[in-house]
This record gives sequence, structure tokens and C-alpha cells, in this order.
Amino acid sequence: MVRLIGMMLGVAVGLSGCATEKMSGEQLARVAKDWSLSIRASQVIPVYPLTEDLEPGDVFLVQTPVEEQVKVYLDKGFLPLENLVTRLPLTGYAEFYRGWPKIGDGIDAPPRVWQFPTPEAVDADFSHAPLAAFPTYNFSVSRSGGLSVAIPVQSVPVGLNLLDSASANGTITLKDAYTYALPTRRTYDAISAWSRDNAEYLKQFEPTTPAQEGKGVPKTQDFYLRVINRVYLVKTVDVSLFSNRATSAAGSAGVPQPVQLLNIANANTDAAKQFEAINQILANAGSPAPANAAAAGDAGAMPPPVAVGGSVKLAMATSRSVSFVETFRRPLVIGYLASDYAILKGGMLAAPTSTFNMLEGRAVITGKAIPYQGCDADCARIRPWLKQAGNQAKLESWLEAKGGAISIADLLTGDHADLRRNAVKDLIEGPN
Amino acid sequence: MALQPPSPQTNVPRDDAGDVVDAMLLDTRVRWIAIVFNATVNGVDQFTVTPYISDPTSSGG
Repeated sequence: MVRLIGMMLGVAVGLSGCATEKMSGEQLARVAKDWSLSIRASQVIPVYPLTEDLEPGDVFLVQTPVEEQVKVYLDKGFLPLENLVTRLPLTGYAEFYRGWPKIGDGIDAPPRVWQFPTPEAVDADFSHAPLAAFPTYNFSVSRSGGLSVAIPVQSVPVGLNLLDSASANGTITLKDAYTYALPTRRTYDAISAWSRDNAEYLKQFEPTTPAQEGKGVPKTQDFYLRVINRVYLVKTVDVSLFSNRATSAAGSAGVPQPVQLLNIANANTDAAKQFEAINQILANAGSPAPANAAAAGDAGAMPPPVAVGGSVKLAMATSRSVSFVETFRRPLVIGYLASDYAILKGGMLAAPTSTFNMLEGRAVITGKAIPYQGCDADCARIRPWLKQAGNQAKLESWLEAKGGAISIADLLTGDHADLRRNAVKDLIEGPN
Repeated sequence: MALQPPSPQTNVPRDDAGDVVDAMLLDTRVRWIAIVFNATVNGVDQFTVTPYISDPTSSGG
């Protein structure tokens, strides 16, 4: 038994050491990127680190040019969610989820109604939340070379230590996944109202043209508001690791005893007791006051807490494989969908575009194609008038007020003869 | 709220394409414009003029 406890302490020490202290900055960055790439494959913009505190209506100020964002996104795999500007007071859940039990507005709005079913409730209850499902991701892991696909859950380093293997292949399954959203029409209305009330604030982020040395056309620096409209949450993560070799190579001297003790096929071992004991070690590793410190006989040898906000449980083990179930205290957001609104002159907002399409470099066509109608007499009068200073702004204001906010290009040569006539009357001929 | 972005326009005659592009570029969000040959009608080449607000050349799908 002493040997078993010693081995398990070694496992716990090893997992904390491997997962944190020895992990270089480069490896940590890779964890973020690889995790994000996996989530991106599911057509979702990844969140890293995982957080509970992200919901539809959160508005972020994006100060990076689109091209630079794409570069950062491709390089890092995710976009840092910084510069939270506001959280829009959204309503409309009751209408959008009409007939769905336990979803409403006000105090019944998600996710609070699931996170804290009653003010006194400690445990979340997402049983009524809309479900989501993610595919199983495969990855390989190596102590020496880092993770070829890294996962920000602690089961992976734990498993690697339990297997006492230098390398392993594995699968990760995101279980108990949920999603909820509001239609972009709702977020559009809310951000429009908010932008009107906060035009002075948004004016700080009007497009600017920085002074540029040398030749070439100076690039305009645009700023965006990113408005979240759907989030994906996960409560449980299953991780299975399959060892490539039974034991690690010579470089693993001093690591814990090999995994034969976990082999349930081995008649000389007591698998049930070992499962229980290892799960106890894992549970204690995550608690601030290890219960078995005294039993170990050396409190100073206990590892620091590793299971922040969740718990890891050994589910299955053989001499070549281990499986873990990691459960977060409450579901965490792993990804989102959003719309970007460019900030224009005067603090006005442009029409929304899909953040995912922008980041993935997908061509964002600006609208449905319309047939060219030719430039009629009114179009021919507007064109030269438009080139005079100040007239473009006048026409834009007029279109906002009386023209359904269509673009100038659509007005000139689209199927809008009556509108062109009215524009000429109001703006060029003048009200007589 | 600002104006809607310009819509793509089909069947634009060759001689008018420049004016259509000019009008589309009045919207500063438009960063790329594709001009794609449509057909020749009565001896006049016609094009589809499509404005983009993200780079269509790095399209992922």
C-alpha cells in the first residue's frame, strides 16, 4: 500500500510539474492554438482560456485591422477577447425559444436560469438548455516533443503520467455540450440603440488615416464592435489516451512506476481499490487542503492544486490506455459566433458582417446582386452633383432618412427610378 | 445607422463599369471589387461588378 501511495503521489507531482512548471511559453502558446484549431473545425470561433462569463450581447472593441486580425487568428488560432465595451441588455429569448421550457426574459433569461436555478442553488442545471454536439478529436501527445494537438484540460498530462509513457495517441470528446443564442436581428437592434446613445464614445474610434511615409496609398485604420450572438458551452470532457509504448524511454528515469498496477487484467492487483485511491489523489490534488496529507506522512510532498474549477476522474485503465472524465463545476464557454460592425464617421455603425467569415478569409459579398438598370436622366444629374464637396454626405443623410438606407451605387443604377427622381427634387432642384 | 453596403450589379456594360465601380467605392467599407465577364450582348461586353468588404482572394470556401 505504501508503494501504491508513493506511486500515486509521484503521478500527482508529475502531472502538476509537467502541466505547468516545465511547460515552456512556446508550449503554452501551442496548447492555445491547437485547441483553438480543433474548435474552429466545428465552425465556431474558439474561446481561450475557457470562460463561463461570455454571453450573447457582449460587445468587444476590435482595434486590429481585418488583415491583421486574420493573421493573428491564423497564427494563434484564436482571438483574445479583450476590450469588453458593454453587455447589451438583450431581450427576446422568450420569443426566440417560444415553447421551450424554462427560457424567458428578465430573471428567466439564459444562462442565469441554468447557472443558478434558484438564488441558493450551488449546482447548475442545464438540463433544459438547447443541446449541441461536437465531433471527437484525435490527438497525439509526447513528453519530449510537446503535444501535436494540445487540449486545455488537465486529463492529458495526468493520463500521460499514469501511463508512464513518453508518447501516446488519444481522443477527446466534448460531452454535455449546450448552446443558446439570439438572432442577429435582435443584437442589431440592441447595438443600434446603444450606438445612438454612445455616439460620443464611438467617435473616438472613427476611421483614421495614419500618416504614412514613402509612396503608396495610406491605409485607413478601421475599428469594429464585435457583438456575440451565440455561445457554445461544455460541461464534461472525456479524454482517452492510448500508449504508444508500455514504458517511456531511458530519459524517463525517476518517473513513477509503470502502469502495470492499473492493469485490471492483472490478477495480482486490486483494480477497484486502485481506481478509488487514484481518484482520491486526483480529487485531493484539486482541493486546497489535501485530505490525505497526513496519511502520506509528508505534507510537504503534496502537489499544488491543479483542478481549478473542475474535477478529473479516472474512468478506465489498462496497461496501455487510460480514460478520464473531467467535469467542470458549471459549463464553460468554448466558442462563439458573432457579428462585426465597423465604426464609421460620427460614431455610426456599418451593417453587420459575420465575424467567422471575416476571420476565415471567406469572401463577404455585400448584398444580393441586382440587375444594372443603366444611368437614366436623374442618375446623370446626380453623378456630377455628387462630386461637389459635401454633397456625398448630404445624399447619404437623405438616403438614411428617405431612401431606406440603400447605398449610393444602388440608387444610381439600381431599380430605384422613383427614389432617384425624389433625390433630384429634394437635393438638386430644391424644395419649391 | 449607416447606409447598407452596395449590392453587386449584373449586366454592367463595359463603358459603364468604371462609373459603377466609382459609386461602389464611395462606401469606404468596400475594399475589393471583382469585375467578371458575363456575356456579349449586341456586341457589347457585359460584366458583373461585385464589391467585397473582405479579401475574396483568400477565400476559404
